[in-house]
Amino acid sequence: MTTSPWNASAAIEPGFDSHGTPAERSLDIRFTGSGSEYFRIWIVNLLLTIVTLSLYHPWAKVRRLRYFYGNTLVDGHALDFHGNPWKMLRGYLLVGAMVLLYSVSGKFSPVAGLVAFLIVAAVWPALFKASMQFRLANTSWRGLRFRFKGDTAGAYRAMLPLFLPGLAVLVMVLGVPDPVHPPSWYLPSFFCAMLAALLVTPWLLWSLKKYQHDNYALGQVQTGFKAKVSSLYGVFLQTFGVSLLAGVMMAVVVGVLVMIGAATVIAAGKDMGRNPTVALIAGLVIIMVMMLLMQLLPRPFFESRLQNLLWGKTAASQLQFKSALRFGPFFWLTIKNWFLMVFTLGLYWPFARVALARMRLEAVSMVTTLDLDQLHEHLRLADGDAAGDAAGDLFGIDIGL
Amino acid sequence: MVTPPAMRRAISSASTSGCDASVSHDEPALPAAAASSAIDAEYFDGRSARAHTVRLSLDGRSLVIDGDGVSRSVPCTEVVWPERTRHGVRVAHLRDGASIHCRDSAAWDAWTRSGGRGESLVVKAQQRWRGVLVCVAVLVAVLVAGYQWGLPWAARKAVAVVPASVDETIGESALASLDEHLMSKSELPADQQARISAAFERALATLPAGTVPAHRLVFRKSGIGPNAFALPGGTMVLTDELVQLVKGDEAVIVGVLGHELGHLRQRHGMRMLAQVSALGAVSAMLFGDFNSLLAAAPVWLGQASYSRDAEREADAESVRLMKSAGISPEAMVRFFEAVAAYVPPREANAKASKPGQEAADDAASSPKPDAAQERRRRQESWLGIAIASHPADEERIRFFKEAAAH
Repeated sequence: MTTSPWNASAAIEPGFDSHGTPAERSLDIRFTGSGSEYFRIWIVNLLLTIVTLSLYHPWAKVRRLRYFYGNTLVDGHALDFHGNPWKMLRGYLLVGAMVLLYSVSGKFSPVAGLVAFLIVAAVWPALFKASMQFRLANTSWRGLRFRFKGDTAGAYRAMLPLFLPGLAVLVMVLGVPDPVHPPSWYLPSFFCAMLAALLVTPWLLWSLKKYQHDNYALGQVQTGFKAKVSSLYGVFLQTFGVSLLAGVMMAVVVGVLVMIGAATVIAAGKDMGRNPTVALIAGLVIIMVMMLLMQLLPRPFFESRLQNLLWGKTAASQLQFKSALRFGPFFWLTIKNWFLMVFTLGLYWPFARVALARMRLEAVSMVTTLDLDQLHEHLRLADGDAAGDAAGDLFGIDIGL
Repeated sequence: MVTPPAMRRAISSASTSGCDASVSHDEPALPAAAASSAIDAEYFDGRSARAHTVRLSLDGRSLVIDGDGVSRSVPCTEVVWPERTRHGVRVAHLRDGASIHCRDSAAWDAWTRSGGRGESLVVKAQQRWRGVLVCVAVLVAVLVAGYQWGLPWAARKAVAVVPASVDETIGESALASLDEHLMSKSELPADQQARISAAFERALATLPAGTVPAHRLVFRKSGIGPNAFALPGGTMVLTDELVQLVKGDEAVIVGVLGHELGHLRQRHGMRMLAQVSALGAVSAMLFGDFNSLLAAAPVWLGQASYSRDAEREADAESVRLMKSAGISPEAMVRFFEAVAAYVPPREANAKASKPGQEAADDAASSPKPDAAQERRRRQESWLGIAIASHPADEERIRFFKEAAAH
């Protein structure tokens, strides 16, 4: 190898094949984790977390992430996590204290609760950015740390679709002197604001994802996000259609159950039908089945479509992501996971998690003409603020894979 | 920091000489080869994505890295060693950002073991099914004990340090909200209200000093049927419907109020708040990643179970008050009988057109756990018991009957 990585130019040279045209390579992702092994890691983590009254949480998280990253092979090279559990503990305690204050304040008075809510809402974008920054700065591939290049102002801009209707609702709530007997304009405009909040959800998701996917960087490569807002609305509309379908299926199931129930009652004589316990149990079962159906069909549909859209529209110069997560297998996996989760009282969770990670990760691949050996980083950057990591846990922020 | 390569070469000459150029990094050495003191790996300097094929060896207390463009030695204590797992790549971190990747995990583990590296108890537990079984057993024991004794104990201790003014604030805001949505001004005659208050205070006066918590009795007309309940901070609400249900029987009312006073004395409201919050946190830890719906179930069941324990404690307090005031606990048996015979007014009207049906069989659901209707809806089935907020009536009647007999 003649070119030293130290003096490579800032622009990256494509790799060339024997004809002198840039060689296109496909980089696959392979996940080699095993459910039974993660089960053992998980159970030990869980025990230590509970026994230490959750102080062990950062160590548990580092073990979990190092296991999942160490088993995620991108083009044969594993990802790696570098977070320092002691630093993460500091962030965890800080955020934990905030959450405690927040949850307690609402119990005392609605005003204190509202103030706490406003504070959390105001710092949320900053925490979002901090959490992305921490996660990426502590993730590496082939020895190079990732970076998150988004800034705080960008995070606030990304949340704008949420803040606008939110602000309208807030003004209305504060503007009404007597909430028990509101003026006539109150209810319609409140309804409009809520409807607006609902309608901007796809836009909000698009704007958050754009903020994320525009700012991932490794070496000289930075990703960009090319999906349009309309495509997010498309995914939401399709999911709505699938939900309707699930609703019809649900109605059929309930109808059949009711008919069976009525038939049983007629067959068994009047006495049984009047037993309230039987009615109660039957009602509970019907409700559970309905909830399950609603959870089981639209959610995997939405998630698979979203993943394919988001990563399919993510690219850098000379690098294109692809995602081919098929709904059918993903749906069956979801059903299987649910079934086994309920029947093992939650002990199946680590297996489910590994299976989900495998399916979602292995659906993603990249096509590139880059010579990956040329990737390099001049400076070593800061590791990011660990408080951001804990906040990310709290709000369920993740890369989306 | 990189020390002069010449020196490193000298130190690790033994291992470099054994380095076979034909061993590419895509096909790591076989585990058998790991018994030797050197192993093949990939080295990344942390600034470039280029992999350097290197050979690693342990030289005293140092890790010697030698190969394609790299030659350095690092004290073992400055290396963040990877933990043993069955699957996955081994990655060791060096302080300057460099890292060493080895795909042949088995070879790596054999190599580090031969180099005398031990592993932590956590790793041992994670990697042996026996260790895992012990962990499962301990986890179950900790969860059961924590649920049965730990949480109630911790909640009691936690509530003990919360000042009473907190209870009052919470109780006031709860009463304000109830007044707004569910209750209106009492329609009982003022003199009857005064008689009930006086009877209750007379009974309380017989209790030893210092065992009566701060309290305030208020009367309300209810939108939720016959009910009595205590709010944190000392407000006890008695509904007109309950007074009418027991036909103004003051002995019964004192028994019911004694039960509510028991909730106040034990600060059940606050304790429940603390217990359920803690239960929610643990449940979220266990199941929250998967689904919040599933995580809610243990909280729901646990809350009902804690609530039944609190009701039993309050029943005991009620007996204490009645006995001290010279009232037979049989009065509470009369109360449960009256509750069992209760028909909600709307249903009673509906019934008029369908004579011959038993009222007790199909009561409407009620929004409040204390409401009378719920008690009857609950049958002796285990499912009913598991989700009910109160113990079965039969059990409570038995309790009061036994108290009356002694």
